[in-house]
Amino acid sequence: MAGVIECVKLTKYYGKTRGVEDLTLEVPQGSVYGFLGPNGAGKTTTIRCLLGILRPTGGEARLFGERVRVDGAGLRSRVGYVPGEIRLFDKETGRWHIDYVSGLRGERPAAADDLIERLDFDPSRKVKELSKGNKQKLALILGVMHAPEVLILDEPTSGLDPLNQETVFQIVEERVRGGATVFLSSHVLSEVERVCDRVGIIRDGTLAAEESVRSLLDKRLREMTVTFADPVGAEFFDGLAGLTRLEQRGPATFVARVKGDHLDEVVKRLAGARVVDLSIQHASLEEVFMEFYRGESGEDQAARPVDDAEGGEPR
Amino acid sequence: MSWTVFRASLWQRRTAILWYVVGLAFYSWLMVWYWPSIGGSEYQKLIESLPPEMLKMFGGTEISFGTMGGFFQVEYLGLMWMIIVLSAVLVYASRSFAGEIADGTMELTLSQPVSRVQVAASRIAGLAVLSGVLSLATFGSVQLFGPAYDVRLSSHALWSLVALGALFMLAGGGLGMLISACVRGAGKAGGIAAGLFALMWASDIVSNVSDLADFFGPVNLVSAWQPGAVIDGASVKPEAWWLYGLTAAVSLAASVAIFSRRDAA
Repeated sequence: MAGVIECVKLTKYYGKTRGVEDLTLEVPQGSVYGFLGPNGAGKTTTIRCLLGILRPTGGEARLFGERVRVDGAGLRSRVGYVPGEIRLFDKETGRWHIDYVSGLRGERPAAADDLIERLDFDPSRKVKELSKGNKQKLALILGVMHAPEVLILDEPTSGLDPLNQETVFQIVEERVRGGATVFLSSHVLSEVERVCDRVGIIRDGTLAAEESVRSLLDKRLREMTVTFADPVGAEFFDGLAGLTRLEQRGPATFVARVKGDHLDEVVKRLAGARVVDLSIQHASLEEVFMEFYRGESGEDQAARPVDDAEGGEPR
Repeated sequence: MSWTVFRASLWQRRTAILWYVVGLAFYSWLMVWYWPSIGGSEYQKLIESLPPEMLKMFGGTEISFGTMGGFFQVEYLGLMWMIIVLSAVLVYASRSFAGEIADGTMELTLSQPVSRVQVAASRIAGLAVLSGVLSLATFGSVQLFGPAYDVRLSSHALWSLVALGALFMLAGGGLGMLISACVRGAGKAGGIAAGLFALMWASDIVSNVSDLADFFGPVNLVSAWQPGAVIDGASVKPEAWWLYGLTAAVSLAASVAIFSRRDAA
């Protein structure tokens, strides 16, 4: 069956500036697709093409098997959109916006009051009085309140505190259980891990790889800082697989980058010496990109992840 | 057309529209109150002592200044009224497309099941209502306050002026909409449109001295605006109806076509 959301060689240029180029992806019905990429990679451009807000320079965007046109409207009745940084009418209230969107959709919002309560949102306040987080709550209410078949979320938790981020993911998970297809754009790996089945990684406007979430997790890097009780040399780490970088910062302190599936070996090696301090952090998504999608020469290897581990479908 | 977009377009400008209506009504009342005390030959002598170029700046020359129409044209409708109403419709027009695209609110509207044509048609309907209301506030106020000062417009003159005033604003706003559909940012759209009208106005003045400066010729919207003659009992020239009607129709149709195809973010 054709995907509910499809991009076929989608290309968008803003004059000479590249937005996305030759982007092809497919999201099957009922799945949760993570669209990962650093800022400026082309995530929002792709979404705007899918919604008919931008006109593609080449290729096409499709929803429910039909080509999206900028002057079309019908397809959008089945889609809910939650932008990451919503722009609203400052002088109007949250309730006005809910009524406005309902008017455009021609139906009363089934879940608006429930969402208002769960997100602890005050709809009587004017938008200009709302914090960024509260505007984001309103964006979520406006995008989800009509229980759309397809939910397109563009960095939906930006500006929200952890408690509300949790509520957002609960709401998304509920929509998924209700049968919705979700397209979640993010530059935060942990967001995607939580809800997505499959992940497309976009970089410099092109789809660098498509992976299962499991595969992506295996590739996740850790940044490890270890301080030994006594000075040791770099040869202490000799022969350890999975170390992609090792830097000595003082006689007994090392910073190392460890691939996700080799952490166990590293910890066992560390146990051979007396460790006085140890911190392990997840590397940022940008660092994952640098590690896995860029060749040693600095040239992009968009078509072939270095570590083509289980489930990955390099493009 | 989308009633929701239409209502929202006017609702978001409710305060500004109210102030424009009150301001125009007040200005009309002021003129009605002022005319009987100054009107007549003394005023005509005063005005005719001015250089013709200066008179042209205030919209004069084609009419007798000793009449009510001449007085209204020079003191109110020839220049000040145009500035007031054009500022109203050009702000509306520049916000309608260019402004909302630049500040991102168009994305909220267009991510809903409403077509570009519906959005544009709704905005045009809002412009038509705005034009009608401002025209009615202007000339209706003259008729409303006039009897208290023995100033009267014939019924024919009143409705001709209301219709012509609304059509003038629709033509001006139409050009504003067309520019708004082509550029990004309300300031840019409004600036270009205002510059265009300033050029028409300057051309109208200078053409009084030299035909070489008559850049716009018969399609100058400012030159065609002669309400004083209508107040004095003449009919609106057919070419004025045609000019404003065609300008409005062509520019508004073009704005819909362009907005329907452009990027809206």
